[in-house]
Amino acid sequence: MNGEHKQRYREKYTNAKQKGVKFFPDIIYKDLLVAFGLFILLIGLAVFVGVPNEPKADPNDTSYIPRPEWYFLFLFQLLKYFPGQIEWIGTAVIPGLAVLALFLLPFIDRNPYRHWSKRKLALGIMGTVVVGIVVLTLLAAFTTPPQPEAAVANTLREQIALGEELYALHCVECHGIEGEGGEIKGVPGLEGVTLKPINDQDVMYPFTDETLYNIIAMGQPLQGMPPFGRAFGGPLSPTEIEAIVAFMRYTWDDRVELPEEETVAAAMPTLKEGEVPSYDVHVAPIFKRYCVSCHVPGKKNNNYLMRTYEEVMTTGDHAPNIIPGDLGSNLIRMVHREEIEAGGPMPPTKALKPELVEILERWVLGGAPETAEQAAQASAKGAPLPTAAAPTEMP
Amino acid sequence: MPNSPSLTRRQFVTLVGAALSAFMGTLVGLPAIGYLLSPALERRERESWISLGPLDQYPLNQPTLFTFTRTKKHGWEKTVTSYGVYVLRTSPTQVRVFSNVCTHLSCRVRWDEEAREYICPCHDGHFAIDGAIISGPQPRPLDEYETKIEGGNLFILLREA
Amino acid sequence: MLRRLFQWLDERLGLTTIHDVVLDRKVPKVNWWFTLGSASLFLFLLQGITGVFLTVYYVPSPDHAYDSVQYIMNEVRFGWLIRGMHHWGANLMVLVVFIHMLRTFFYAAYKYPRELTWISGVVLLLATLGMGFTGYLLPWNQRAYWATTVGTEIPGTIPIIGPFITSVLRGGSELSALTLSRFYSVHIWFLPAVITVTIGLHLYLVIRLGISHIPDEND
Repeated sequence: MNGEHKQRYREKYTNAKQKGVKFFPDIIYKDLLVAFGLFILLIGLAVFVGVPNEPKADPNDTSYIPRPEWYFLFLFQLLKYFPGQIEWIGTAVIPGLAVLALFLLPFIDRNPYRHWSKRKLALGIMGTVVVGIVVLTLLAAFTTPPQPEAAVANTLREQIALGEELYALHCVECHGIEGEGGEIKGVPGLEGVTLKPINDQDVMYPFTDETLYNIIAMGQPLQGMPPFGRAFGGPLSPTEIEAIVAFMRYTWDDRVELPEEETVAAAMPTLKEGEVPSYDVHVAPIFKRYCVSCHVPGKKNNNYLMRTYEEVMTTGDHAPNIIPGDLGSNLIRMVHREEIEAGGPMPPTKALKPELVEILERWVLGGAPETAEQAAQASAKGAPLPTAAAPTEMP
Repeated sequence: MPNSPSLTRRQFVTLVGAALSAFMGTLVGLPAIGYLLSPALERRERESWISLGPLDQYPLNQPTLFTFTRTKKHGWEKTVTSYGVYVLRTSPTQVRVFSNVCTHLSCRVRWDEEAREYICPCHDGHFAIDGAIISGPQPRPLDEYETKIEGGNLFILLREA
Repeated sequence: MLRRLFQWLDERLGLTTIHDVVLDRKVPKVNWWFTLGSASLFLFLLQGITGVFLTVYYVPSPDHAYDSVQYIMNEVRFGWLIRGMHHWGANLMVLVVFIHMLRTFFYAAYKYPRELTWISGVVLLLATLGMGFTGYLLPWNQRAYWATTVGTEIPGTIPIIGPFITSVLRGGSELSALTLSRFYSVHIWFLPAVITVTIGLHLYLVIRLGISHIPDEND
């Protein structure tokens, strides 16, 4: 830009300023309104969208698909087009040149004109770049595979509930439902080993959370306990192990009390007189806590799987294990600790509490409904009570 | 020019600006106060009976120190707090339990066998065997715990704020 | 009385001069796109305020970072609001700053005599992105951890000096407590200081040179 252009610009600008407005109030009021609008938008986002909860960082989780923030996605996507030896062109040269060009723009663009119609080249380049960024961002967004679901707990209570569930899935087989230990049954390699309880002061007092965490994560190879942490070849993430530790601590350590009075175990919904339990509400939690640890694929269980209603009703070498309305069903007889063709007493190490057995009986008698609505219909018809029907002694 | 239109426009913008700022300030400011005060506002009083073991193990008329710990969750961390209590068995069936925290500035008192007094090392406070003040700056006698005896075991009622 | 107080302050602070120079100045007629600069400033201030509040409870250590953020979100009163505003404010700020730059480009406002304003603006844009990048790691969750792993890996591909840059960014060969604490430091001290100083320069230039006018066909 030469002196003449500068001179012309100064005159033009002085002129525009004279015809213009006062900063206060004409400009300020717009700024004010926009700022206020952004503020409301921000509050709205914070209140109605919130911040998604994520599991804790786990350096050993190889299944996690890393993604940068949305405003770096275009860079991320760009790298896909520069594989191998020329990768550094995408990572360093192009971004470096772009930043440099941005800095030097006023000196690169020597065109003295300012109206868009006289700057088609500059606008064209910038337009292409912006479109490119948008396209790359969209490409990256759409080609991102969905993240595998991971366990997260928001509150302490959720954490304990998660821990309880995971404990039932991974620990119950050997350590027992209440951590009571005892003789291990049906676990290959550990058959007949007797474990000390882990739910008493002897474990809870000397072991800190950190110790418990490490024992679960690394296992106790000498005693035959396998590692459970992902870092050591096990199935659990740090978040999950921490949940199990929290569950153990808040359930078994008599020195710590749940901040709120309600205990986790009280979560079981109550049944009214004559009400038929449903699988979804009443039965699934029992199965989840007491049965699923063994009744999943890959364990010794006569192929009886108990993860879903479908599986509970249909799978197993001696299927069906549940016959709606029939208290002679295999499952009912086995929880009554009978030795039958389908197998021995269940759960093998410790009898179910009588009130849980009663729920199962009422459920089977009421036609083993799956959902709460079906159970309500069955209740309306008047379900027979276990005591009125044939008792447990079957030929 | 008090009545010129530009002045009234300015006044209007100032007014609207002040109103919007006040609105935004309140919307963030009030929650922010709650945010800052939050831990102080958490009031979870807990009452629990702490077992001090069989009563018979405590000698008669001889204050015996018993220590125990309690775990509390503070924010993202669990903190272990130690407590010390002096158990004074006054008769085969009666017992008094005193906190070893000096009522002056919360130093820990200790039982001095020779003087047969509790002595606070910080400001030389002296307490009698029953917790009464002998000398020193402390405002009140040693705090005493409510006790109960169940099945020969001694329990004290611990109140935590 | 008030008048005398004002006069006393004015004599020393030059309030009238500030009023005349900053508020009473004439500017060309412009449109709504010209509010993006002040909007960026507003968002920066909000980020500063909510950020300061977050530091009350946040702990920049891998042991506690995640738990302290969970604590802010679930147990501290209105912690979810403060963090929510900071989180979304960051996203919004990147967007607003970027569009602000596009507007400046479209109206050719980077040309004489506003070259320095533009350059300081580029510094601000990069610093904003830097804030986004460093802030992203702080919650120490899966997303944060892996995004930063990849993000710090990128300069590592540069021949010869790349791996060195990566280890400078990370404070070691892999992501660790050192990475977290240096990101934290950069996020709450270095970059805000850079941004504050640069905003000062930027605003001084804007006031000194005036808001650019919307070019007409003769420009």
